[in-house]
Amino acid sequence: MSVQIPKTLEDFPNSAPRWVGRGVPRVEDPHLVTGRTEFIDNVVLPGMLHAAILRSPVAHARIVSIDINEAEKLPGVIAVVTSDDARRWSHPEPTVPEEWGTHCLAGDKVRYVGEPVAAVAAVNRYVAEDAIELIAVDYESLEAVVDPVKAMEPGSPLVIEEKGTNVMLQRVFTWGNVDGAFGDADRVFTEKFRWHRLGANPLETFGVIAQWDPVDESLTLRASVQSATHFGLGRAAVLGLPSNKVRVIAHPHGGSFGGKGGTRGTDVTALLTRKAGGRPVKWIEDRAEYLTGGGGQAWDRHYEVSLAVKNDGRVTGLDVKLLDDMGATGEGFGAISTAKPLASFTGPYAIPVARYDLTIVATNKLPQSPYRGMGPPPHNCVLEQMMDIAARDLDIDPAEFRRTNFIPKDSFPYTIASGNEYDSGDYEAVLDKALALADYGKLRERRDQARAEGRCVGISVVSAIEPGVFDWNAYAIVGVQGTGVPEGATVSIDIMGKISVRVGFALEGQGQYTLATQLVADYFNVGFEDITVVCLDTHSAPPAFGPGGSRLGVALTGAVLGACGKLRLKLAKVAAGLFQMDPEQVDLVDGKLVAKGVAGVEMPMAQVVGTMLARSDLLPPDVDPRPEATHVWTAPGRTEVDEEGRAKSYLTAAQAVHVVMLEVDPETGLVEILEYCVVDDCGTRLNPATVEGQTEGSIAQGVGAALLEEYVYDEQGQILTSSFMDYLLPTVYEVPATKKGIVVTPSPFTPLGAKGCGEGAMHTTPAAILSAINDALAPMGARATEVPASPNRLWTLIRAAQQPAAGE
Amino acid sequence: MTAQQKISVMINGTMHEAHVEPRTTLADFLRGELALTGTHVGCEHGVCGACTVLLEGRAVRSCLTLAVQVDGASLTTVEGLEEDGKLHPIQQAFVEEHGLQCGFCTPGFLMTVHELLYENPDPSEDEIREALGGQICRCTGYQSILRSVRLAAAKLRNAHVAGSTQHS
Amino acid sequence: MKPARFDYAAPDTLGEAVSLLERHADDDVMILAGGQSLVPLLNMRMARPELLVDLNRIAELQYIREDGEWLAIGAMTRKRAVEESDLVRRRQPALLAATRLVGHPQIRNRGTVGGSMAHADPAAEYPALALVLGAELRVVGPGGERSIAADEFFKGYLMTAMEPVEILTEVRVPILAPGTGWSFVEVARRHGDFALGGAAATVRLDASGSFSEVRIVLFGVSGAAVRLGGVEERLVGQRPGDALFREAGATASEGLEEPLSDVHASAEYRRNLAGVLTIRALGEAVARAGGREPGQEERR
Ligand SMILES: Cc1cc2nc3c(=O)[nH]c(=O)nc-3n(C[C@H](O)[C@H](O)[C@H](O)COP(=O)(O)OP(=O)(O)OC[C@H]3O[C@@H](n4cnc5c(N)ncnc54)[C@H](O)[C@@H]3O)c2cc1C
Ligand code: FES
Ligand code: FES
Repeated sequence: MSVQIPKTLEDFPNSAPRWVGRGVPRVEDPHLVTGRTEFIDNVVLPGMLHAAILRSPVAHARIVSIDINEAEKLPGVIAVVTSDDARRWSHPEPTVPEEWGTHCLAGDKVRYVGEPVAAVAAVNRYVAEDAIELIAVDYESLEAVVDPVKAMEPGSPLVIEEKGTNVMLQRVFTWGNVDGAFGDADRVFTEKFRWHRLGANPLETFGVIAQWDPVDESLTLRASVQSATHFGLGRAAVLGLPSNKVRVIAHPHGGSFGGKGGTRGTDVTALLTRKAGGRPVKWIEDRAEYLTGGGGQAWDRHYEVSLAVKNDGRVTGLDVKLLDDMGATGEGFGAISTAKPLASFTGPYAIPVARYDLTIVATNKLPQSPYRGMGPPPHNCVLEQMMDIAARDLDIDPAEFRRTNFIPKDSFPYTIASGNEYDSGDYEAVLDKALALADYGKLRERRDQARAEGRCVGISVVSAIEPGVFDWNAYAIVGVQGTGVPEGATVSIDIMGKISVRVGFALEGQGQYTLATQLVADYFNVGFEDITVVCLDTHSAPPAFGPGGSRLGVALTGAVLGACGKLRLKLAKVAAGLFQMDPEQVDLVDGKLVAKGVAGVEMPMAQVVGTMLARSDLLPPDVDPRPEATHVWTAPGRTEVDEEGRAKSYLTAAQAVHVVMLEVDPETGLVEILEYCVVDDCGTRLNPATVEGQTEGSIAQGVGAALLEEYVYDEQGQILTSSFMDYLLPTVYEVPATKKGIVVTPSPFTPLGAKGCGEGAMHTTPAAILSAINDALAPMGARATEVPASPNRLWTLIRAAQQPAAGE
Repeated sequence: MTAQQKISVMINGTMHEAHVEPRTTLADFLRGELALTGTHVGCEHGVCGACTVLLEGRAVRSCLTLAVQVDGASLTTVEGLEEDGKLHPIQQAFVEEHGLQCGFCTPGFLMTVHELLYENPDPSEDEIREALGGQICRCTGYQSILRSVRLAAAKLRNAHVAGSTQHS
Repeated sequence: MKPARFDYAAPDTLGEAVSLLERHADDDVMILAGGQSLVPLLNMRMARPELLVDLNRIAELQYIREDGEWLAIGAMTRKRAVEESDLVRRRQPALLAATRLVGHPQIRNRGTVGGSMAHADPAAEYPALALVLGAELRVVGPGGERSIAADEFFKGYLMTAMEPVEILTEVRVPILAPGTGWSFVEVARRHGDFALGGAAATVRLDASGSFSEVRIVLFGVSGAAVRLGGVEERLVGQRPGDALFREAGATASEGLEEPLSDVHASAEYRRNLAGVLTIRALGEAVARAGGREPGQEERR
């Protein structure tokens, strides 16, 4: 009998499941609300030192000399490292695209403000910071490249001279007869957009404790790391160590959103512990370091987008030209964000052909990192603006315009122009529900009445796809190798009948340990208190990637249920031996091993487990005596990319419709959100409360993106937003309360039909807000094309619209 | 080198004596010297609120207070909220209403809500938002935190009513 | 982000504090009040005093008293105490309104009245309030005590008329005379942020309904809070009305010198804001002078 992963809750060996599908309290929370969760900065090791990193104050300069004498002399300083150590003990950072990396400590020159130049390990952080002030660096300033357009011009200063160019990647992908579609179109709309840099900013920055073992030349890293395996492999490559000599112990972390970063700082810390003879060294990135030199900057984009449209409202072609300013190197892996849009390039629409003209350029800014959504949020935002521009021109209601172009519900699985396959959906149902929830007709009346009073009020109805369950192949076009992202779990029962679930990722906030607990509790018909979920280090964990790419909920479900299924077979086999029956005749039912059709022949699970652990002599010869099983789940059916970058990449396609009403104060450019409605379909909701949390949290980040968050660099490449006074995160005042509704079309491809939903509304909210702003501005003939739509930007547009003659 | 200064401070009902360098922030003192690591540090410049503790019952930023300044004072940190090993009603409310995801901001929110609800047992929506406006949560989008605060207020009011009927 | 080393003293009395400052007149000494502006600067090592003199133990600097026509507020009074003061609520509602716009409760629990005045941030509410109300600031130093009118006290971007060895001890705010209308409005990117711009106004109307007295101050739009003397003069004697307010707004906007420009807003934006806020503040203040609460509160 092969392992069956349940497709629905009915397939569980439990007649009355109690946990899956309910908004149960999270197992993570008691530790968190009492302050007991072991975040990395809570950890103290014997003899531990503290690191501080000296960072470049300038964007582009040659390093003439570095003098560390004074720093080394400061009492309490144990080790100081510079590029000499980096060259001795490490290789350049791995990058995407490949070979756009430098050593973790700058050598010949610095390439961005915040780039690590030297570092100190001392008895405490205060002394370490005293010491870095004593390091004298002589810089010979070079002209900085800050504008990506200028960076491409011949004669521009080069960020990495050896490359001979600042263009990291330039390629055009054509899917179908795009020229034909545009030639045949009744109308063609073209607009330029600018999406400014923003990023993750989890409340906890990155932190690591590195400990070098000089005897066997191995490294242990305790870190607030999102994907421990991947992180460990990267560090081994950089530090020139065999992969089994780097052990990563992931700690729970205070959020990540893809932008935890920390790789370069970890490599620097690894040099320090090695130089300090193996004393453990802790480096906790502070907020200024995070903002200027961490993993928190993403998506610095210049778009030019065209849409081919027929007079009946059908969109027949999409042409997207993107120039992304990647910053100085590819070390943050930010470039994958330019590839992921392929997974949902044409959104929820049946747009038959499309083109993607992609250019990635290096400048003297912090290298980009991923951020929640990994690239599609700006893409969706510009696509939705184009949809509105077309609808407005054709005088079609934006909701109906979208309806006309939606992929029909009977055409799933549906392959989009850029190659990915959407699993399932009913987009019209989601739209209808959203319009009803928002009371769309009334909403428009309210808007029109407000307009009649001279107020600047706008409504948007937008839709977007959230690709779920990522696969490496989605990033093939920027040089990422491989297909398939495994996630493993081990389910193990002890002699008392208590269950442990062993995984390879640490807590991050999405409630995955609760999900694992729900699944196991229902599978074996036990209580929450009977289950523990533990995170193992990279030496012992099953294959794991962890959270990211809206995948873990689905992948973990597959892994845990697969392990449960294997264990079920094993227990049945053992019980059958004890019952002296055929294994096929025994099964797990409601937590007991039962002889099918033979009343009264049954045995509690704990007794079977007890036999396995205590009396291996009684077991059938081919049974592994450990009452545990491991399953590694990988999204099925993923394909290699073709020559135009097309592949089945992300496994699921969740969809959402947001309806927003907001008001712009024309005198100040301030935006106030008046109504926010969201309906989404992410398949089966395994824990509705945590899904709702993901939605609400991602709406907040979307609001931040649309209105507040922006990293600003000046013309010298100096960063002007190095504190939370200037990089503005949304507070309780800026995030609207939402009306929410759901539609459920289970995914045919995933265990229990769940779809990836962690990135959530980040895919839709920026588009929804910008669209509503544009609806508000439309009567005066203004159009906002920059994100964030700051008060200054909106006011400038409005003023220009109101004084058309001025300046002409 | 700057002389260390001796301080004594009451924290969660326990008296602590220590020698600190004047430049040591209260946050670092609590976390580093006393291992009260429930107080988190997210920005060290007063904006995020993760480090919020109660100083004489008032919510303050421990990253903007020096340890030397709390000599003779009385503090409460998240470690001081539980009563008899049971979650405080505010903590319980956050669990029940899913008022947290990563939980890094949570101790700061709990302390702020503690101040709010002990001064104002039945706060209006505006008053809740005013209290929370200085606390940043990157995960939840605040809606579940607002629900948690409302539930906590109800729990505390009920506890109060129950307490007073018991006494009478 | 950890402070550089410093020495620390926390005198119990004002006298001790004064003599400490006098003794260390040649050293790099800084006064620590609520720490809500200074400690971030210490943490970022942008302020690096040799000696920090902490005023927090000086109980005699924490009070709010009615003193004839004035509210006398000790420099070390927390903003939260101002917010909760019945006296302030009754006697000087503009002070209460301004206080509620300063940061967040957690900041106001520590931040002091004197600290905001002494820091003189161009976008801070308190200096603007002091200017519009005609507050007096009392300072003591080795040479004794002196009283400085708000108009004289604020000297520009983060600059005051105080000597480094002087301590601000008291802020004296006139009690709001009956019949005076006031307004305190600002625009910030988020609730509680330092303002992109703000305006404060007090007005009195004569029997005919014309302005008999007008004071308007703008803050956050240029290097320091500024009183709009010219606008005030032109308004006196005129009957309030939208057209007049618009004219005042235009004058305020055009007359704004060296508007600030930063990552949040350009100089043009702030120049515009100067006009918009002048109009809004006048409207509110006139409504209150007429005994009405302004119909619409500022959104942020
Ligand atoms: C998150 C956050 C948000 C904020 N938002 C705002 C806001 O919206 N509006 C606003 O106005 N402020 C805001 N602030 C600043 C806050 O109001 C400060 O409290 C205030 O600026 C300074 O007061 P303090 O008592 O904290 O002074 P400190 O920070 O202790 O001192 C500030 C300066 O004044 C000097 N000083 C203090 N007291 C005296 C005295 N008695 N005599 C002589 N010199 C003295 C100090 O030496 C120092 O140079 C914010 C702060 C934070 C952290
Ligand atoms: S760490 Fe203190 S407010 Fe952020
Ligand atoms: S729960 Fe993560 S920051 Fe609030």
